Amino acid sequence: MTNPSPLSIRGGTRQLDATGLARVAVFAAVVAVLGLPGGFSVAGGVPITVQTLGVMLAGAILGPRLGALSMAVLMALVAIGLPLLAGGRGGIGVFFGPSAGYLLGWIVGAFVIGLVVHAGGRKPVGWRTLAGMLTGGILVIYAIGIPVQSMVTRLPLGETVMMSLAFIPGDLIKAVTATVIVMTLVRAYPRAFARVWASTPAPAPERVR
Amino acid sequence: MLTLYRPGSGWLHRLPAGPKLLLVLFTVLAVSLLPSHWWTAAAAAAAAALGYALAGLGPGMAGIRELGRQVHALRWVIGITLASQLVFMGPEPAVANAARVTAAIALASLLALTTRVTELLDAIERGLRPLQRLGLDPQRIALLLTVAIGTIPVLGRRANEVREAQRARGARNNPRTFVVPFLIVALKHADELGDALTARGVR
Repeated sequence: MTNPSPLSIRGGTRQLDATGLARVAVFAAVVAVLGLPGGFSVAGGVPITVQTLGVMLAGAILGPRLGALSMAVLMALVAIGLPLLAGGRGGIGVFFGPSAGYLLGWIVGAFVIGLVVHAGGRKPVGWRTLAGMLTGGILVIYAIGIPVQSMVTRLPLGETVMMSLAFIPGDLIKAVTATVIVMTLVRAYPRAFARVWASTPAPAPERVR
Repeated sequence: MLTLYRPGSGWLHRLPAGPKLLLVLFTVLAVSLLPSHWWTAAAAAAAAALGYALAGLGPGMAGIRELGRQVHALRWVIGITLASQLVFMGPEPAVANAARVTAAIALASLLALTTRVTELLDAIERGLRPLQRLGLDPQRIALLLTVAIGTIPVLGRRANEVREAQRARGARNNPRTFVVPFLIVALKHADELGDALTARGVR
């Protein structure tokens, strides 16, 4: 089976190896599947999409470079006409619609999340993970999405910001959920991150969990 | 396989993917850049109708019926754009901008409707070839996209298995209890996929 040796995410060659390629492809598919109908309990009658939860997890689990790459792959698949966005949207048209900026924001957002969550090559901890989700998963995505939305719909920036505020509560819940999921994975399935962490506060690498 | 492609044999279907992409992008950009006046709404609607009618999607009104389906799929985008602009900016920009955005998205959909995914993948591989000099590997990118496409139905099935397993245990269907097991299943699949690729000589 696979050896749990670290991926050469940074060191050595910049070329994507087979393991990295598989993880990138699989995570693009994970985010696509999270957008498929199949149903999550609707909150107060409003259908919620957990697709953006997947974006947050991509950066946190794959790290900045591969996380951003997996989102770019997803965008490429959407652009060539696969209906992979929540609600079965797809095709190059979505990149001319109001949500174009948010989608590009997914790529940058995943990168920023990866940077923050894995800062210094240390093991993810709760507060840093949450900080990553809030900056990369919300701030960055809105910072790119809102100006583009304003440009596409020609609704002035201020009004567009006001409209977007409606989505903030849901995104805050997703950021917290993503943090809980990442911390669960750190404890229950650290292999998910496919990396060796620099000295952890309490070094117990041999402990059986 | 899920795609937006509709089989057909019209001229747009037969046009090679590269030129078609450029044609669609040019048209969409032109519609997107229309100014926000009353006549924009008419021009945008006319452009969309003309595009679908002339694309050769089928006999008679088949093109217009397809446009109807596309617009129906966009009803949320239209509704939100229209409502927000009515509130903040008044009827003229609201109608003009909603029509402009709708027409642009609908026209862009013509690409996916008339081109197979495999053709577009090939076009991407060809289009990226000049970037080889910059250290980009078009074949690896095409492989990455192909593997991702193939993985989606596999993970879709795994997701259903996870959901069924939870239902069998009486667990409520909520994102958090679903995502962790689904991620573990998916990442294990990634390990196997990486091994399979390595075994086939991908490094």
